[in-house]
Amino acid sequence: MMESKMVGEGVKFERIRRITGYLVGTLDRFNDAKYAEVNDRVKHSIGTGNGEFEEV
Amino acid sequence: MIETIIKRDGRAVPFSIDKIANAIFQAAKATGGNDYEEALALSQKVVDYIESTGNTRPTVEEIQDAVEKILIESGHARTAKKFILYRSERSRVREMNTRLMKIYEGLTFKDAKENDIKRENANIDGDTSMGTMLKYGSEGAKQFNELYVLKPEHSKAHAEGDIHIHDLDFLTLTTTCCQIDINKLFKGGFSTGHGFLREPNDISSYAALAAIAIQSNQNDQHGGQSIPAFDTFLAPGVKKTYRRFYVSNLSKGLELLCGFEDAFEASKNLCLEVEGTYGLTPVFANDNDYQAKEADLLINKYKLPEANVRKAQSFAVKKAVKETDKQTYQAMEAFVHNLNTMHSRAGAQVPFSSITLGDDPSPEARLVCKNFLLATDAGLGNGETAIFPVSIFRVKEGVNYNPADPNYDLFKLAMKVSAKRLFPNFCFADATFNAPGYDVNDYNSKVAYMGCRTRVKANVYDPTRQVTCGRGNLSFTSINLPRIAIKAHGNTDIFFEELDRKIDLVFDQLYDRFLIQGRRRVYNYPFLMGQGLWLDSDKLKPDDEVMEVLKHGTLTVGFIGLAEALKALIGSHHGETQEARNLGLEIVGHMRSRCDQKSQEEGMNYTLIATPAEGLSGRFVRMDRERYGVIPGVTDRAYYTNSFHVPVYFPISAFEKIKIEGPYHNLTNAGHISYIEMDGNPLDNLDAFESVIRCMKDNNMGYASINHPVDRDPVCGYTGIIGDVCPRCGRHDGEAISEEVLMKIKGYSTSVCSCDENPLEEADKVAHPVDIVEI
Ligand SMILES: [Zn+2]
Repeated sequence: MMESKMVGEGVKFERIRRITGYLVGTLDRFNDAKYAEVNDRVKHSIGTGNGEFEEV
Repeated sequence: MIETIIKRDGRAVPFSIDKIANAIFQAAKATGGNDYEEALALSQKVVDYIESTGNTRPTVEEIQDAVEKILIESGHARTAKKFILYRSERSRVREMNTRLMKIYEGLTFKDAKENDIKRENANIDGDTSMGTMLKYGSEGAKQFNELYVLKPEHSKAHAEGDIHIHDLDFLTLTTTCCQIDINKLFKGGFSTGHGFLREPNDISSYAALAAIAIQSNQNDQHGGQSIPAFDTFLAPGVKKTYRRFYVSNLSKGLELLCGFEDAFEASKNLCLEVEGTYGLTPVFANDNDYQAKEADLLINKYKLPEANVRKAQSFAVKKAVKETDKQTYQAMEAFVHNLNTMHSRAGAQVPFSSITLGDDPSPEARLVCKNFLLATDAGLGNGETAIFPVSIFRVKEGVNYNPADPNYDLFKLAMKVSAKRLFPNFCFADATFNAPGYDVNDYNSKVAYMGCRTRVKANVYDPTRQVTCGRGNLSFTSINLPRIAIKAHGNTDIFFEELDRKIDLVFDQLYDRFLIQGRRRVYNYPFLMGQGLWLDSDKLKPDDEVMEVLKHGTLTVGFIGLAEALKALIGSHHGETQEARNLGLEIVGHMRSRCDQKSQEEGMNYTLIATPAEGLSGRFVRMDRERYGVIPGVTDRAYYTNSFHVPVYFPISAFEKIKIEGPYHNLTNAGHISYIEMDGNPLDNLDAFESVIRCMKDNNMGYASINHPVDRDPVCGYTGIIGDVCPRCGRHDGEAISEEVLMKIKGYSTSVCSCDENPLEEADKVAHPVDIVEI
């Protein structure tokens, strides 16, 4: 029986991020400082998820 | 006997006493001397001295040391001083040349992944031939400008990291950006410099020419290009397209129902007759009397049966609406594709483009807006998120903000698209500083932002021309706020004094640069000025200087690291304490009032921007860490925080962040943007997405957007959030997967998935979201 052909070897996931207003398709193109900045980003809590904000 | 000397690069070259004599003579001349014989006599003394030390192969440095010694000892103090100056200047130039060659070496022999300079701008591929060639030019120009063009005090401040002169490589060449009025450009056609293009005649050519306009102007300026009312500008294209489809479909109806022989010619003439007689034309909304007048002619003049005429007319409307919709979608799809593939700047970049739209309630503009959003939603050929254009949805109460507003459906659609594709961003025309003068029917009265954040509105130079189109930023220079704060050692008085000195320095430097930009002529900006894009440039001749018309643009002071500056000054940043919030606003408010004051004094547009700091965020902090060491919360990360932002690493709710950053938008009149980082997939929670956007507006923000992860697996096509494993096909990053499994997942063979094979079908596929927008 023939084995099924394998595809996608070496194909990386694209991770699109916004850097100073522009989208960038691959993290490889970030300069060192921006790479660190993107890694440090934390999520901002939105609250209940029903469109209501929790006041802090 | 000295026969050879050793040059700096190690080569041995024949010794010549004349060279020493000449150097001494030049130094003497600079102090008023002109006795070459004496210079020659002094050089003999230099030679004698060197030989007396037993050195027969001296280095250049050793000879120069000897010259200094002999000059001083033989009473030529002033000449010695000049010689020392000359020597240090030469060594500065040499050092710069060496630095440049080191940079070139890195550009040549290192990949972008090991070379930060190649990644300075994330949207230029530094590994391509043209990308590297651009970098050679850019790095060489920077050094030249630093050494020979800038005033020494500006050059020093830049080199030492007190300030950062953005786009220094373009210092002597051009200006930053422009809001393009393509309506005006298209009228009567235009020339790209490589060929003349006629006024476009349907939506496809409108969209194609809009992309060409952006591309052409990108080669005349160093910043981005923007179309500030994309939907309004392209609406005439929809009008022309609809008219054509209406006429051709009416002819089909008439031919079929009434047996008209040459129905197409007849329909065309009929349309011309109605237009000529009544001034009415077939329109997309079909809300005028055109069809009544047309029916009248067909029934009474051409004696056609009324029932058939009505049938043919309603067929024509139905078909024309559908075909116009479809063609508009295809035009928008092609526009997005073009802006992501068409090259500019020697082929190393696609143009940095942005478009603003959303607040034109005319039916044709709505169709443009809807289809642009749908094309953005669909993505590129394989469903990839488009990087360009930066699209900006202009939010306006009474037009699109509330459910009763005519374009509320488009606002909803814009949020849905943004939740998937990160664009559009949102700008708020109701913000107190954006609202004055807004007229829904006048695109020039509406505020527009450039992609990254730049904004023009007020015009101190010419208060009668507070318009958006034909204007932009001339140049901007940013101040390193954290350094001023570190040096102030907690004393805010000292901080403000030093800040004032830096602001003065930047004003001076911006004006110097303006003089260089202004002395260039129309032919130096063949598209921007030659085609009349820039305000009032259409009144100039090719050889005229552009100085006066450039004054419509902005000279802009920027800043970086407010958060770190606050931390250094009082121990907390504005995310942490009320004290820091107050001081932060005081600092940025002071910078703004200095700009306003300067504008009034000079009659020019000095403005304040919240700097977008891609290349800069690492540079300042690296230099400050070297000088002052690691200071917690100030120099302990690889970057300084952007402009007035609350640090990205600081945990804070979206609501609090927006409330804290909102007031800075009012202060930064040359541009600003705020971001919220949203967790999870916002498509699953569009209500939350909308509530964040509304909160931004409620807090008087001018321009903002929501960030969320957009990942994609090119193998199976999944777009969304991908952790370590693709949720659709289960493969890890870079891992292979069996084709059989993949086919099962996708439900069809991979070999036929090329989406651009049949664009008509593509347009149909996205027909469902069309339904939510009733047009
Ligand atoms: Zn997958």
